[in-house]
Amino acid sequence: MILEKRVYKSSGSYSLPKIFLECLKGYKESFYLAKQLAKRDLRAQYRQSILGIFWAFAPVLLSASIWIFLNLTGTVKVSETKIPYPLFVVIGTTLWSVFVECLLMSISSVNANKSIITKINFHKEALVSLGIIKLFFNLLIKMGLIIALMLVFQVSLSLSVLWFVPLLVISMLALMSIGVFLTPLAILYHDITRVIPVIMQVLMYLTPVVYNSPKEGFMKTFMALNPMTYIITDLRNTLTGYPIEHGGFLLIFGFCTILFSLFAMVVYRVSMPIITERMSS
Amino acid sequence: MSEVLIRAEHVSKKFSKDLKKSLYFGLLDVFSGVIGSSKKRELRGDEFWAVKDIGFEVKRGECLGLIGHNGAGKSTLLKMLNGLISPDTGNITMYGKVGALIELGAGFNPILTGRENIYNNAAVIGFSKKEIDAKFDSIVEFSEIGDFLDMPVQNYSSGMKVRLGFAIAAQMEPDILIVDEVLAVGDLGFKIKCMNRIQELLKNTAVIFVTHAMTQISNVCTRLILMNKGQVEFSGTEIGEGIEKYFLNFSSSEQKVISSKNVFLKNVDLHSGNSGGGTEISINSGDPLTVVFELEVEEEIKNLRFRIGIFNMEYRLLAEVDSDQVRFIAKNRPGGKVRVSVDIENLFLRFGKYTIHLHVTDKDKNAKVLRMSDIAVFTVKPTLSVGADFLMPSKWQQLE
Repeated sequence: MILEKRVYKSSGSYSLPKIFLECLKGYKESFYLAKQLAKRDLRAQYRQSILGIFWAFAPVLLSASIWIFLNLTGTVKVSETKIPYPLFVVIGTTLWSVFVECLLMSISSVNANKSIITKINFHKEALVSLGIIKLFFNLLIKMGLIIALMLVFQVSLSLSVLWFVPLLVISMLALMSIGVFLTPLAILYHDITRVIPVIMQVLMYLTPVVYNSPKEGFMKTFMALNPMTYIITDLRNTLTGYPIEHGGFLLIFGFCTILFSLFAMVVYRVSMPIITERMSS
Repeated sequence: MSEVLIRAEHVSKKFSKDLKKSLYFGLLDVFSGVIGSSKKRELRGDEFWAVKDIGFEVKRGECLGLIGHNGAGKSTLLKMLNGLISPDTGNITMYGKVGALIELGAGFNPILTGRENIYNNAAVIGFSKKEIDAKFDSIVEFSEIGDFLDMPVQNYSSGMKVRLGFAIAAQMEPDILIVDEVLAVGDLGFKIKCMNRIQELLKNTAVIFVTHAMTQISNVCTRLILMNKGQVEFSGTEIGEGIEKYFLNFSSSEQKVISSKNVFLKNVDLHSGNSGGGTEISINSGDPLTVVFELEVEEEIKNLRFRIGIFNMEYRLLAEVDSDQVRFIAKNRPGGKVRVSVDIENLFLRFGKYTIHLHVTDKDKNAKVLRMSDIAVFTVKPTLSVGADFLMPSKWQQLE
């Protein structure tokens, strides 16, 4: 019988293809663990809760209804939207909350499992898969909310809806990759974890999430510079029967995302052992 | 059955004393790690070597004991062996499946039941679903949890949690086993069960064993490494010698009065045969020891009774002598000076350092008037390396 051989040495030069293969192997071999941990977290979360999955969409629903209320009472005047405003807001805020979750996913996953990281040797990729599983679980619940609302407003779909899922997946991948890339830094300095929600809050108002992009002025220029504008707009378009507006941009965006996600994966793999020694259990 | 399974060569690891600097260095390390720089690692700023230039080999069937004071670098070395952190210099090569008994019950969620947590923990330590299903019954049986299997783990006693954790870990069939002081908890019965399981694994694995319990070391280990300040101070197969070196590292404690009423110790002298004097002496195993001590006693105390205790370095009371046993009573003299000498015969102690404690009792009132620890120290010169505390004299002959 040939025994598996492992060599631990100081992290020096490495070959990119080799590290890359190790990453993939890590994801593959640790999938059962990720699944088990996700099951654990979700079960524990819902077992000690009366309202259960309500909490998955309550914050989104609340912030959406505030905007709907502001608009209805005329407190805030929002320019005309293509689809009914409540639907516009709910889709916008739901997607935005999914994006924030994507960004923070790996950081919170690693933080929550510090005690195992510092004591047990396992593929750290499991923590990313764990985050993704939980993310998709929450996504399903939130999508249920959107679909219910779409039925209420009797939205007619077009073929462009087929683009919704790939577009959503690629934009989630982009934000998750940024999160994974930042994880080592965020474990060292807690500032990162604090600054992300703040930035995302500000960015939300600079993106057509709760209101349309204006026709002219400074804000229009700013939103045009913000890549999130195109993503949110086209995600909403595909879901509500309108065609994609920024196909070219999304193609480049998708390509860059895939490259960046591979890069983030390698950074994560290389830096985890280095971060572990600076971690308290 | 004797291939080398663990090989460590010139392994070193450095740490920083300051948190802010440590984080900053961490950032630099991540950066140089990602760009793949292979610059030589030297000490920066306030860093120090937590582990310095350690090398060893462990073959299948061998057990390497790792001892040292707190902060000697044992845990850091263990973390490197377990692949949690990478060495700064040197390299470690491990062959085969590694099992670590470092943290029991990792991945438990307190809300969930014991049954659910068996799956969680087993997945964390590397079992597949199929393996867990197959081993589930033996885990439950080993853990002795019984009816509480479907109770949330947060209601378990700490002993139960450890038992469940060990029961899961005990199902591993590793080539290399790393054990770190996990047996400190649990009742005696369970401890024995754990040791038995480890002994069972010993036959076919290469084991690295870290503990402060020296009796376990001498029972189980075939090789010993004593670490001090990150470096190897002793390495070899003479387990007893290494253990004593470990004890001798502790600075000998000073004379300490635990309680005293009207009696004061003035002077202590140790003798053995013709040699001796002072409060420290070195003897051979089996030699006699004479303790002479001088007390200052207040007048109201008339008759005195004494007891002397001999402690080993683990602070375990090994032997006592008592003046009552031979009906000796010391009388107070005018001026309050009492000098007593006691001969202790044939101290068949093993190699090591021992301390002497003194109790003085007022014979008439039957009240303790002086308790003092570490009044003197004696060292027994190296004997045969034995696990027990005494190397008894014996006569042997071959029979027809």
